[in-house]
Amino acid sequence: MNSMIKIKDLEKYYRTEEVQTVALNKLTFDVKEGEFVAIMGPSGCGKSTLLNIIGLLDDPDGGSFIFNGIEVAGFNERKRADLRKHNIGFVFQSFNLIDELTVYENVELPLIYTGVKPADRKKRVEEVLEKMQIMHRRNHFPQQLSGGQQQRVAVARAVVNNPKLILADEPTGNLDSSNGNDVMQLLTELNDQGTTVIMVTHSEHDAKYSHRIIRMLDGHKVTEDILV
Amino acid sequence: MVKNYIKTAWRNIRANKLFTVLNIVGLAIGLCVCIILFAFVYTELNFDNMYSNSENIYRVNMETSEEYDFEIWAELPNAVGPAIVKDIPEAKKMTRLIKDDFGVTASLKIGDKNYNENGLYLADSTIFSMFDFKFLEGNSKNAFLQPKSIVLSQSAKERFFGSKSAMGELITVNNRDTLQVSGIYADLPKNSVIDCDMVYNIKDSWMGTDVYWSNASYETYIQLQPNTTVAQIEDQATDLIDKYVDKDGQYFTKFFFQPLTKIHLYSANVQDGYSTRLGNINTIKSLLFLSLLILFIACINYMNLATANSRKRSKSIGVNKVLGANRGQMLSLFYVETAILVLFSVVVGYAISFLTLPLFRSITGNDINYHDLLATPILIGLLIIWGVITIVAGSYPAISMSSISPLLLVSKSKKKNSASEFVRKGLVVFQFSASIILIIAVTIILQQMTFIKNKNLGYNPNGVLAVSVKSAESRQQVRSLTQNLKRQMSIESVSAVQSMPGLNESGRSVRKLSTDVVGMPIKSCRTEGDIIETLKLNLLAGSKLPEVISEGDSIIYTLINEKIINYLDYKSPNDAIGKIINTELGGRAIITGVVANFNYNSVKEDIGGYMYYKSNKAPERVRALLIRYNTQNLPQFMGNLQKTFNENMPNTAFDYEFLDKHVAQLYASEEKTAHAVSVFSVLAIFIACLGLFGLAAFTAEQRTKEIGVRKVLGASVAGVTTLLSKDFLKLVCMAFILASPIAYWIMQNWLQDFTYRTPINWWVFVLAGIAAVFIALLTVSFQAIKAAIANPIKSLRTE
Repeated sequence: MNSMIKIKDLEKYYRTEEVQTVALNKLTFDVKEGEFVAIMGPSGCGKSTLLNIIGLLDDPDGGSFIFNGIEVAGFNERKRADLRKHNIGFVFQSFNLIDELTVYENVELPLIYTGVKPADRKKRVEEVLEKMQIMHRRNHFPQQLSGGQQQRVAVARAVVNNPKLILADEPTGNLDSSNGNDVMQLLTELNDQGTTVIMVTHSEHDAKYSHRIIRMLDGHKVTEDILV
Repeated sequence: MVKNYIKTAWRNIRANKLFTVLNIVGLAIGLCVCIILFAFVYTELNFDNMYSNSENIYRVNMETSEEYDFEIWAELPNAVGPAIVKDIPEAKKMTRLIKDDFGVTASLKIGDKNYNENGLYLADSTIFSMFDFKFLEGNSKNAFLQPKSIVLSQSAKERFFGSKSAMGELITVNNRDTLQVSGIYADLPKNSVIDCDMVYNIKDSWMGTDVYWSNASYETYIQLQPNTTVAQIEDQATDLIDKYVDKDGQYFTKFFFQPLTKIHLYSANVQDGYSTRLGNINTIKSLLFLSLLILFIACINYMNLATANSRKRSKSIGVNKVLGANRGQMLSLFYVETAILVLFSVVVGYAISFLTLPLFRSITGNDINYHDLLATPILIGLLIIWGVITIVAGSYPAISMSSISPLLLVSKSKKKNSASEFVRKGLVVFQFSASIILIIAVTIILQQMTFIKNKNLGYNPNGVLAVSVKSAESRQQVRSLTQNLKRQMSIESVSAVQSMPGLNESGRSVRKLSTDVVGMPIKSCRTEGDIIETLKLNLLAGSKLPEVISEGDSIIYTLINEKIINYLDYKSPNDAIGKIINTELGGRAIITGVVANFNYNSVKEDIGGYMYYKSNKAPERVRALLIRYNTQNLPQFMGNLQKTFNENMPNTAFDYEFLDKHVAQLYASEEKTAHAVSVFSVLAIFIACLGLFGLAAFTAEQRTKEIGVRKVLGASVAGVTTLLSKDFLKLVCMAFILASPIAYWIMQNWLQDFTYRTPINWWVFVLAGIAAVFIALLTVSFQAIKAAIANPIKSLRTE
C-alpha cells in the first residue's frame, strides 16, 4: 500500500512570554492508505497537536509533512482549507455539531462547502443517514439527541464527502460503553471500506480496533505496536 | 449557499432573544430618529426647487455701508428691481414683494366681519409667472388688469368665504383700501419661501408708484436669462448705485444675487426679509450630527453584543471552518445575520417614526407630515440606510469573528480575546462619553435659558399687552380708545407706540457734529403717552416725554438711552438734558430724558442706541397701544378690553399680543434646541444603557461558575454585585473624564453666541457624572443582583 501520510522530524512549539513548550519533538512516522492507526499517550504528550497538524488545522514549526505525495507544511490557510474539505473528515470527542442546524443540515454542511449541487446533496445525505441509522432523526436538533446519536451524526458528517482520511479525537470519550462500541464499529466498517482512520484515544479498548498503536511521550514516538 | 446563510443567521438571531431584542430596540430608536430627520432634511434641502425657473431666480440682497455695520439686508429700495431690469439685458423679469404695512398684521373687513391676516403681500404682477401660480379661478394675465384687484390663495378663500364664490367680492384692508377679488390660486407649496396668502398689485399703492432709492423695505426677486454668469450681473447691478444714487444717499455699497433655492437655509447672516419659512443650515447640520451619533451608539450596541457573544459562536465558526468554510464565507454569514437584524430594525424604526412624528413636530416646530415620510427618496434612503448600517454595525463583528481559528474547537483551554475586549470597552466608553456630553449640554442650555428669562431686561415686559391700532380710521379714534382704556381700574398706563420693543422701529442714525459722516445707527420709535411708566423704564435724568404738545410746537422731544449718550460723549446723563440731537427726523430735536439701557432685542445681541420720540410732525404712525394692566381676573379683563376696543374701533379686528410672550418668542429657537438636545440625550443614554444591560447579562452568564464558587466560599450578594458592577463603573468613570473637557469646550463655544451668558459651573459636570454613574449602576446591578442571588449549586451545575 502507498503511504498517505509521511511525517519526518516534525516539530511544534508553544511559546509564552516566559517559557517555550515543545509539543512535537522530531516526530517521524508514516500512515499507509487504508490503515487504522491509534495514537495514545498521557495528557500533554502532543497527541492533539499532531492531529491538528495532520488535519491541516495547524502549521508545524519544523520538519516535513507529506500528504498524498504533496508537501503541505507551509501551506496557507486557503490551500489547507481546500485540501481539508476534499480529503479529511473529523470526529470529535464533544461531537461539535452546530446547535442551530438540524441533523440533516449538519450532515449537509460539508457538501455545501465542496459545491455539491442540491439534488446530489439530498441523495448523498439521505444515504449516509440511512447508513448511520439516524434517518428518523433527520429533522431534530442536536440537543434533542442522545450522546450516541449525536456521535453517529458527527460520523455521518465526517464521511458524507467520502474523505480519504478520518481523524477521530477521542470519539468515545463522551459516550457510555455500548454507544462507544457502536461508534468504534462504525469506524471499523469505514476503514474496511478503504478509508484511512487515525484516532487519538486514551482507551486501550478502543485502540484494539486499530491496526497499529503509536504511543507518544513528550512530543515524540516511544513505541509502536502492530496489532494486525 | 445564500439560503443556508439566511437560515443559519435567522436561527442565530432567534437563539439569542435578549441580544436580538436589545439590538432591535436600540437600532429601531436610532433609525426612527434618522428617518424622521432625513425626511425633514430632504424637505429643507429641496426648498423652492419646484418652480420651473428656480435655477434662474435670485433674491437681490445688499451690503450696507459702515454706518450700518456692513450688514446684509434682504429688503431693498423699491427702485432697485426696475433699474436692474431696465439696465441689464440678462435680467428677464423682476418682482418686488412687501408685506402689507411693512410686515404688521393686516386688518381685513369682509362684509360685516373683521379678520387679522399675516400673509397679505403687495407684489408686481410678474410674481405669477416667476413662481408658477396656478390659478383655480381667474388667470394670471388678467388678475391685476383692473386697479385695486386682489388674488387669494385657495385656503385664504376658504377661510374668508367658505364654499361660496369669492370672485368679485370686496375686501377692505386696514380701513383704507378696498380691493376686489380677481383670482383664486392653488396654495403655494409649503416648501417655498414665498408664503403669500393674498396678493395685491404693488402699483395700486404708493409703494409701487413712488419709486425711490432711500427706504429699504422691498424684497426683490430677479429672473435671469438661462446660463447667465451671476458674478457679472452682480457687478453690473452694483454699478447702478453710482449711476442712480447720490454719494450722500449711498448707505448700501453692493448687491448680491442669492439663489432662490439657497434663501431658506442660507439666510442667517441676512437681515429682515418677510418669509416666515426660514430655516438654518447649522440647525440641520446639528440635528443630523445628533441623529447619526444616536444611530452610531445603537450600532455600537450591536458590535459589542455580537462580539461579546463570539465565544458562544466560536464552536459553530470552528466547525464550519473545519468542514471547509473559508473566511469569506464566514464573513458573508455574519453580514447576512446583521442585514436581517438591521432589516427588522429598519421596519420597526420606520413604523415608530409614524407614531412619533407629532412629537418631532412639537420639538422642532417643523410641519413635516406623514406624506413626507412616504416620499420615494425616503424609501430609497431606507434601503441605503439598511446597507450602510449593515456595513457599519456588521463589519467589526464579522471581521473579528470570522478570524476565529478552528483550533479553538480542539483546544481544551478557552483563550480570552483581549483585543476584542479592549475594543468593546473602548466603544462603551465612547457611548457614555457622548451621553455625558449631552447631559452636560442640556444642563447648561437650560441654565442659559433660565438666565435669559430671569435677566433684568431694563424694562418689565410682564403685565403689558400690545393692542394693534394700525387700522384706526383717524387719530381721534386712537385718542378716544386710549382715554376710555385709561378709565378702567385694572389699567395702570397706556402708551401708543410705533412698535413693540425690537419689532418695527425705524432705523436712523444720530451724529455728533455735522462732520460726523458715519454716525451711530439707532432704533427710533414714535410714542404718545407715558412710555417710562408703561414699560417701567429706568429714568436716569431729565423727565418723561410731555403729555401734550401745543399745535404750533415743532420741536421733536426725545427720550434716549445711555448708549446714545456715550456715543455723543456726554459725561453724564444730566449733561445731555435739553441739548439738541441730530436725529434724521427732519426737525429740531432735543433730549428730554435719558433712560438706562434696556434689552429691546434678544439678549443674544448687544444693546444699541434707542430713542423714543414725540412730535407733531412725526413721519411714522403709531401702530399699537401698550397697556400695562394689573388684574386678578384676566379673562374678564380681556373681555372688557375687547368690548371697549370694538366700541371705539368698530371696523377693525381686535389683535393683541402679550409683551412677555413676544420676548419669550425671541428665544424660541434656543428653546427648541434645548428640547431637541434633551430628547436626543435621553435617547442616547437609553440606547447606551440597553447595550450595557446586554453586556452585563453576558458577563454574568460568562462568570456563572466563578460566582457559584465565590458564593460557596462565602461571598455575599453585595460582594458579588460589586464584583460584577465595578468593571462597568470604571468604564463610565473613564467616559466622564474624557467627556468633561470636550463638553466644556463645546458649551463655551455655544455660549459665545450670547452677549449675556451664564457661567459654566463645576457642579454641572459633577452632576452629569453622578447621573451617568447612577444610571449605569442601575442598569448593571439588575443583572449583577440576578446572578448574585442565584443558587450556587445550580450555577456550578451549568458548567
